[in-house]
Order: sequence, then C-alpha cells, then structure tokens
Amino acid sequence: MHRVGTTATPRFLVAVVVGAILLLVVVPLVRLAQVVVDEAGGGLGEILTGAGMTDAVTNTLVLALVVTAISVPLGTGVALILRRPDLPARSLWLVAVLLPVVVPEFVLAYSWTQAYARAGFTDSLLGLAWPGVLGPQGVVAVLVASAVPLTYLLTAVGLAARAEPDLERAARASGAGPATVLRTITLPLLRPSIAAAAILVFVLSLGTFAIPQVMGASAGFDTVTTRIYANLSLGGDPSSFVEAIALALLLVVFAALVVGPADSLLTPRLRATRVAGPPGAPIVPGRPSVSRGLACALGGYLLFTAAIPLVALAAASVTRAVGLPPTPDNWTLGHFSEVLTPRTFEALGRSVVLSAVAATLLVVLGGAVAVLERRRSGRAVSTLVTLTLVLPGSTLAVALLITYGRWVSSALTLILLAYLAKLWAFAHRPISGALDRLPVDEMHAARVSGAGLLTAVRTVALRPLAPALVAAWLICFVTALHEVTMSSLLYGPGTETLAVVVLNSAELGRIGPTAALSVVLTALVAAPVLLCWLAVRLLRGPRSDVAARAVGTSQEPERARA
Amino acid sequence: MPDPVLDVRDLCVAYDGTTVLRDVTLAVAAGEVVALLGPSGSGKTTLLHAVAGFRPPSGGEVRLRGRLAASRSMCEPPERRDVAVVFQHYALWPHLSAADTVAYPARRRGVGKARARVEATELLARLDVGHLAARRPAELSGGEQQRVGLARALARHALLYLFDEPTAHLDTHVRGVFLAELVTRQRDTGAAALYATHDAEEALALADRVVLLSSGRVVQVGTPAEVYAEPADLWAARLTGPASVLTVPDGGQVLVRPEWASLGGEREGKLRSVAFAGPHSDYLVETLDGDVLLRETGTPRAAAGEQVSWTLHRSWPLQAPGEPG
Repeated sequence: MHRVGTTATPRFLVAVVVGAILLLVVVPLVRLAQVVVDEAGGGLGEILTGAGMTDAVTNTLVLALVVTAISVPLGTGVALILRRPDLPARSLWLVAVLLPVVVPEFVLAYSWTQAYARAGFTDSLLGLAWPGVLGPQGVVAVLVASAVPLTYLLTAVGLAARAEPDLERAARASGAGPATVLRTITLPLLRPSIAAAAILVFVLSLGTFAIPQVMGASAGFDTVTTRIYANLSLGGDPSSFVEAIALALLLVVFAALVVGPADSLLTPRLRATRVAGPPGAPIVPGRPSVSRGLACALGGYLLFTAAIPLVALAAASVTRAVGLPPTPDNWTLGHFSEVLTPRTFEALGRSVVLSAVAATLLVVLGGAVAVLERRRSGRAVSTLVTLTLVLPGSTLAVALLITYGRWVSSALTLILLAYLAKLWAFAHRPISGALDRLPVDEMHAARVSGAGLLTAVRTVALRPLAPALVAAWLICFVTALHEVTMSSLLYGPGTETLAVVVLNSAELGRIGPTAALSVVLTALVAAPVLLCWLAVRLLRGPRSDVAARAVGTSQEPERARA
Repeated sequence: MPDPVLDVRDLCVAYDGTTVLRDVTLAVAAGEVVALLGPSGSGKTTLLHAVAGFRPPSGGEVRLRGRLAASRSMCEPPERRDVAVVFQHYALWPHLSAADTVAYPARRRGVGKARARVEATELLARLDVGHLAARRPAELSGGEQQRVGLARALARHALLYLFDEPTAHLDTHVRGVFLAELVTRQRDTGAAALYATHDAEEALALADRVVLLSSGRVVQVGTPAEVYAEPADLWAARLTGPASVLTVPDGGQVLVRPEWASLGGEREGKLRSVAFAGPHSDYLVETLDGDVLLRETGTPRAAAGEQVSWTLHRSWPLQAPGEPG
C-alpha cells in the first residue's frame, strides 16, 4: 500500500532507532538473564519457590486476572454510555471519566486510603469505614479505577472506528431491539478492541507497583513488584538481589506469554478499521429516562472512585491531625508549609526538567519509529517498541541498573534512560496514528504544486500532525512525572523525583504532609494537561457543526427567498 | 380508500436548533414507488431517518398505515415500525456472512436459524448472488454488497422500503427483481417504497411519483411526466433535467426542454456550440430571447458559428422570481 513516507528514509534514522532499541532494551534484558544464570545457577528453582515467593507470584497473577475481568466490562460500559449524544451533561462526563489519568496512581491509592480506611474521611464524617481498603480488596478497587479510563479509551476508539452508526441502524431497521443490537452487532464489532484492552490491562496489572505498595504492602499483601522493591531497597544480602532479578525476569516471561500470541493474532484485525462517520448524531433516539438513569450510574461511579477520594485527600492535606473531622475549625496550611521545603522544590525541579527532557526526546524517537514502520522492514521495530510498554517497570529498572550502573554515575541519567525505554510506545502510538490519517493525496497535491518534500511537510502535514505531537509530548511528560516504579528503584541521595518524595513520605506514615505533597503533585500534573488540552483544541480549530453538515452547503440561492 | 402506507404531515426535524426539514407533507400509497429527488444537503437522508425512526421529529407527525409512528411527543423505535432500509453505503455488518446478514431480520422475527438461512439463501439467489452466501462484506464488490443489502431489506417483509440514495444506481436487473418483489408483496401486504436520489434520470425512470425537495422543503409533487414537463419553478426545472430559459414578449420566462425544439424553421439564431453524444447531438443556439439547447438524434448537422434556423414546438411558463413557490 502506498503511504506517506515511502520515499527514501535517511540511514541515520535507522541507525538511531536500532541503536536506541539495542541500548535501552535488548542489551539490558540480555544482561539481566545472564546475571540470573551466573549468580543463581541451579538454585533458580529454589529461589522462585522460596518462602513467600509463591504467594507473591500467585497474588500477582490472580490480581491481574481479577482487575482485567472487572475493568474491561466497566470500561466498555462507560464507552457505550458516553457514546449517547443525549446523555445529560455529556461533555462533563467525557472529561471526568479521564480524571484518574491525571492523578498519579499512587496518589489515587493514597487518596482511597484517606477516604475509606478507619479514621478516614467517610469514617470521621459519617462513621462509615471500609477496613478492607488496606489489603487485596482495596488494591483491586483502585487498580480497576485506574484501569477503567484505559479500557474506556480503547473501546471508545474501537466504537468510533468500527461501529458505524448505520451498522446499528440497519440492525434496528431489521427488527432488533437495543439489547439485541448490542449483543449481535455492537459487541462483536468491538471484539478486537475489547481483547486488546484486556491484554493491555492484564499486562500492566502484572507490572503495577505503586498501588499494591501503598495499599497492600502494609497489610502483608505482596506482589512480585513490591517484593522486588523490598528486596532491592531493604534486603542487603546478595540472595535478595538475585531474587529480585529472577522475579523481574519472571514478569517478562508472563508478559511475553500473553502479549506475543495476542499481538500477532490481533494486530491485523485492529489495523483493518474503517473511518468513522460524523460524530454527534444519535444512532436512534433513546428514551430520556434511560439516559438520565445512565448519567446517574456514571455519576455515582465517579463519585465513589474519584471524587470522594480526591476530596478526602484535599481534606487530609488541610486537617490538623489524623482523626479530627475535616471541618473548617480544624483546617490548617501547616502541612503545606512543612513539606514545601527547599528539598521538595529541588525534587520538583528535577521532576519537571527530567520529564520535559524525556518527553522531548521521546517525541523525536517516537516520530522516528512512526516514519520507519511505514517501510516494510520497519514493522518489527514498532512491535519491539510496543513490547517495552508492557515490560514491567521493575524489570526495566533492574536491567538498566545492572547493565549501566557501573558506568553511569548519575542516577538521574539512569532514570532518564528508563523513561525513554518504558515510554517510547506512548510517544510512538499517537504520532503513528496521526500519520495514518494524513491523506496521501494532500501531500501529493502539495508536491505536484511545486513544493519540495520539506516544504510539503511544513505547509501541509505539520498542522494536522501538531495535535498528535502535542498529545504525545504531554502523555510522556505526565507519565514521567507520575512514575515511581522505576525511579523509586533507581534514585540515589539527592536525586529523588517529587513522586519518590511523596512515596517515601507515605511509607513513613506522615498522613497530613503526604496528602499535602500529593495535592501539589496532582496540581502540577493537572495544570499542564489543562493548558495543553486547550492548546490542542485551538490547534484543531473550530469544529465544524454537525447541523451545518447535515444541512449541507449546496443550498440553491433561488430557494433562499421563501 | 385505505390509509396510505406512509403519511407524513407537516414534519419538522431540527439538529441542535437548526431546522433541517420544514413542514414536509407527503404520502406514499400502497404499491407505489415515490422518488425523493433533491441535491445533496436538501434533507433527503434526514427525511428517511425520521420515517425509519432514527431521528425524532421536532414537529408534525409520521403515520405508517394510519398508525402514529412519530410526533413531537413520541417516537416509536425502528424495530417496531414496519420499515426496511437500504443504506447509502449498504451498512453490511463486517462480522457476518452474506447469508447471516440476510437471515438477520427473520431471526429477529423469531424464525428458526435453519429456516431463516433457507429464506436468506433463496433471496440471495434471486438477486444472482447465491454463490456468495458464505462471504463477508470485505470479500464482496460494491455491486454485490448492494444486492446483499437489498436482500436484507427484502427479508424484513416490511410495509415500506426506504432507499437512502444507494451510491451506485440499482442496475436494471436488481431494479427489476425489486419491483417484481414489490408487486408480489403489494397483493398481500400493500408494500411501497420511498427512494431518495439526487439523480433526475434515475428518479424519473423508477418512480410512480416524484417529490422534489430543496433545503428541507417540498417544492413539488407529481408524476415523473408532470415534474419534467411542468416544473413548479426554475429551480425545479433545472433539477429535473436539461433546461433552457427564454424570455417571452410579455416579460415572463418560459422553460424549453431540449426535445421541445428542433433545427430548421422560422426562428433565427447563431449556433454557439455542438456536442455529439452518440445517440443524439446537442446544439446550443444563441437567440435574442436567450440561449436555447436543442437535442436531435444523429450526428451534428451544423458547425459552431453558423447561423441556423430553429422551431419551438412547446414551452412551459415559469413562475416569475419572487412568487411564492
């Protein structure tokens, strides 16, 4: 197929991409495997079946399964509800559903404990507490809450791309009721998206660290990732180091076992998507009472999973002491003045600079892969890059540490390398998607109008690509700011990122100050997101009105009189 | 006289406050094929969607066989209306084979799987695509997809068939099969069809009556011969076929269709251009009253630039601009 960018690709681009993949992913993983073989030798089996290990591995697998089983139907349901144009306050829900994305996941975990644990927000206000929130139940609940936006996004994209309104209208006009249409048409059309969402959530849940660490570790609920963290940060003996490495490799094996077959099975079907029709028109008018009911259900879900926890977090950050009701009499800004020390500001500065540098480099690397994959030989590159996304952060951090720790003196450089390796796919996907949508004919039209390749890119391609570039940068920046799995393993004295400072504060049990830090970190993430969201909206320009399109432009002037 | 199959009265439809259809009134009688003719953006699809139940009206009402289907305050869902739709891009489900697609409406009526498939295969065979029953839409050509889409609509056994401007015209065979089906079914159920198109030739050839739609309003309703020979106004004249306008002595305007005039005769003019189109030749003649297009069979009899004489056999007075339409 002829696509944009089939003209000669500069050799240095290939060299940069291949070099970066080798350096960031392949060599560290090989080194990891080598260390395990060297150090553990025949004792690997003993290590993996040692005390507590089986529990951690079982916990991890069960956790990933349960979270996938709950969050995929929930996210699909949310996507189906939000597709109704007659949903009351729809634009509000569209933003609110994605809220958990801009809240760092360990902040979300922490805010749930503040909201629902004993002596928490609901306990001190209403006398309602959920003791299970610290433990496996809470871990599952928060993992689900943070996975739902992802499954929602994937299924919503699938709905937009595959479930053209006419396909469902055709079913209704063939005599099928709404439920039958959902069962026989909509869900079968969504199957590839749902499967992709399930695989992604499963793999990301395998490698998740912050939420089990904040909510499960204190209750004795260990997962593979918290165990790696404990081994590396607390355990001093060589055997715990080997155990951590062995566990890190085990995560890769699990992830590869799921992703490998699924990717080859699903990718061609996911690619065969169609262009969506104009949005905004309902498929079939629904009953207002149903829409109101669905809006209430959605509101209740968001209240429980996001609003109450975040309010509780804010309340905890301004309440003088734990256990006091969060009323104005007990308010203080003392926690903020306590935590906003020069050291915090240094960490904040480090975080912002590190994330910005990472995001900028990632957009360049992601763009390079997006261009390369358009060549037949470049397909493998994009698959490899996507694999780094599902590579558990703990594994990647350990691998980079043992490969480059000896030569790279600055922990910040190691953290930067880890971000680049882990988030590459985040930058690659939006840019690649935008390139896919860039009409070849527009580029051709520019070329036959006399524009050189660079001029054509600058004048025709750049503007439609700009939102994707901004989005890619933003996703990388925000994710890097949130990141604790890798930074908490790699940081050294004086190189903490802000997220690590918050995590350490939580580990010390300082509730008020931790809440204050969490509020600062969340605000720090939310502010650029809002700014860039506005920028993207402006770059896209005014959206053409559905009504205008429905009426059309070819109205005859002669008819205008009546 | 029994209730018409479709009775639309004063129908208004608005999208986000913009009115797309205004006071549309039309009826389709049993056994009738009505063409909805209008340029793109005139509201044809919106009207079909309101009739099918995909879009609620903001005013007026839609009645099917006398029963109220939609009004300002109620809107019956499509599955409970007795209508079938052939979609513009056919809207075939990518995950279903042609046989399963055509069996779908029967399955929804509660017909067993085996029987529904038998009926589906038979319908596909009648449309000459029986051998493609096992294929999915991605493996079908555009024309084959159209036939599967039509078979699915026929499998609905509906009262009213709605055609939303099929991207490719129904070819003669498919049209024949459909019209034959309609005649058969008319005897027992009184089926009818509403066919949206922007192509005048297709509308005139296919329909018993033609409804001209412009900017969401009905401009004229009539038989194909009426709307062609006696269009309501200049706009309607241009929509329904090639139209020349001549100024007559009293200051009014008349419509001249190409076959209403011929070369030779008492009138004078200068031949501006000649176009040979195979079966016929078109002559554009410049006259004192305006340019007139003539059409005669055969190869060109004169060359551009020549002075020619011509005869006007017939004309139709056009409403002066400003008169209500």
